[in-house]
Amino acid sequence: MRDKIPQSIGDAWVSNVIWPLIQIAIVFFVVLTIVAYLTLAERKISAWIQVRMGPMRVGPWGLLQPAADGLKLLIKEDIMPLKADRAVFTIAPIITAVAAIVVLTVLPYGADWATITNINIGLLFILAVSSVGVLGIILGGWASNSKYPLLGALRSSAQMVSYEVAMGLALMGALMFSKTLSMYSIVEAQAKDQMWYVFYQPLGFIIYFISALAETNRAPFDLPEAESELTGGFHTEYSGFRFSLYFIGEYTSMFVVSSIAVTLFLGGWHFPFIGLLKEQDQTLYVLASIVVFFAKVILLLWAFMWFRWTFPRYRYDQLMDVGWKWLIPATLANIVITGMLFIVGQELGFVQTTGDGRVEVVGVAGNAFMIGTAFLITIPATAILLSLINRRTRDFNLRAQRQLQLRRRQERIAAGAGD
Amino acid sequence: MQLQGYEAIFFYALALVALIMGVMVITVRSPVHSALFLISTLIGIAGLFILLRAEFIAGVQILVYVGGVMVLFLFVIMLVNVQQETRETTQIFTRQYVAGYLIVGLLTLSFLYVVRESRNTQFLKPPQIEERAETTATPMTSLSKDTQEVGDKLYTRAALPFEIASVLLLVAIVGSVMLARGRKQEKIFE
Repeated sequence: MRDKIPQSIGDAWVSNVIWPLIQIAIVFFVVLTIVAYLTLAERKISAWIQVRMGPMRVGPWGLLQPAADGLKLLIKEDIMPLKADRAVFTIAPIITAVAAIVVLTVLPYGADWATITNINIGLLFILAVSSVGVLGIILGGWASNSKYPLLGALRSSAQMVSYEVAMGLALMGALMFSKTLSMYSIVEAQAKDQMWYVFYQPLGFIIYFISALAETNRAPFDLPEAESELTGGFHTEYSGFRFSLYFIGEYTSMFVVSSIAVTLFLGGWHFPFIGLLKEQDQTLYVLASIVVFFAKVILLLWAFMWFRWTFPRYRYDQLMDVGWKWLIPATLANIVITGMLFIVGQELGFVQTTGDGRVEVVGVAGNAFMIGTAFLITIPATAILLSLINRRTRDFNLRAQRQLQLRRRQERIAAGAGD
Repeated sequence: MQLQGYEAIFFYALALVALIMGVMVITVRSPVHSALFLISTLIGIAGLFILLRAEFIAGVQILVYVGGVMVLFLFVIMLVNVQQETRETTQIFTRQYVAGYLIVGLLTLSFLYVVRESRNTQFLKPPQIEERAETTATPMTSLSKDTQEVGDKLYTRAALPFEIASVLLLVAIVGSVMLARGRKQEKIFE
């Protein structure tokens, strides 16, 4: 379809401006609808986990609840604290929402014309723009000129800066297989290898998912908005539509991080036997690919909500420990071990360099080698390394810590008795 | 290097944004506002990198400077809580005219030198129009090899400077850990 339209009208203007604008409008509408319904899903899933029914009043099974919520937030009074920094207070939620929404342009929603654009630095662009979203949270907390928002903002900036590192490094392992940053090409690379990279990179996927939870301020990492401690975190002073902008930003970035996980680890819009449709009907194939992509994303989003009601919140020092002492060393170990496996695989003939410079895993034996080593070597080796590094930290090896404290206490008592 | 069409429009718009925001950085009183204008400048410069077809540098510019460094700047500004500069009576400039004029003069000279050199040697070749038309028409198939080239150059020709920079950063990290670690923490695990 992308090729047909410009030919019929005969104008580059259409293919470069109008068609992308139509695509953007569709994506904007679809994703924002998903975001609206995520708020409902959040409430429904939490209700089901706690054996409740959730919202049931507006529409059948409460299906019109998001519309009612949106209307309520729009017509609610917009309050600004008296001593707030007016300009910064106004733009902070806009920064968060815009940073989350801009990223939607480069996601690969499906095969062929279903992807809006394919840029060379796709993944880097996503990471860069979503890192700007942190600014909205910090500035919002600061501009409110109030204690709790400032504390929430400081917590969140520290948290997001730390987990950004782990997130970026966790993606590196899968990038070593795909050899490109372009989102569309990453999906195609997985099609060529006939394997989802989650099997080559199980450790990378787990670490990415944990860091993604922390990046989007989801439980168990929702310290920036810990209700019991901070009354609401950075958005305590926000009300009305500005408040909802923060939530649009937050839920959109949930969608974005799930899409990255799907694209990089779960094969994007690929599914076994979906290629058979391609020979029969191109349009049907593209539509099926879109459905597959969104189904995978929604599955991951469901896991996000599931986790929220399964794990208790981390304490602040535990949060920093998990980020810096566990996840980042684990990602570094993963990169090094994966690189070594590539060289070993090349020596054994499991990995070969093709004509266009792509390094490919060859055949069933190669796949078995890569997957087997990922599970049997990378994960145990990283586990051993981590336990060596963290032998003496506070929250690990609790028994040894306790013994140490007891011994020191006895020494103190002995010393005191000696005087 | 001649700019044409949309490129010229984008270049002048981005350059203007970067310059105006740069002036605002040093003239506004609130340090948080300064940081915000600095962010705008950095984003404008990232746009200029994209015009130069250095997409990787543009992405890294935003990721590192806007998403990392400026976040830490804001973090520090909030912790330190600078109040004095926001008062109307405080002077925000030190009025060192001689040093100011000297630096401006030197900068102007160096700019003039670079412009003259680039005219002579033509190391800034304008990208071929045909090439560009091709890449915009079929965005799905042809991608520039910008990222790969940066990686290749970084780990082959620029390997030593790269390693030196990483050692410098390591020294800075170790130093800051030493400064932050109190006597008490040292004792706990002895």
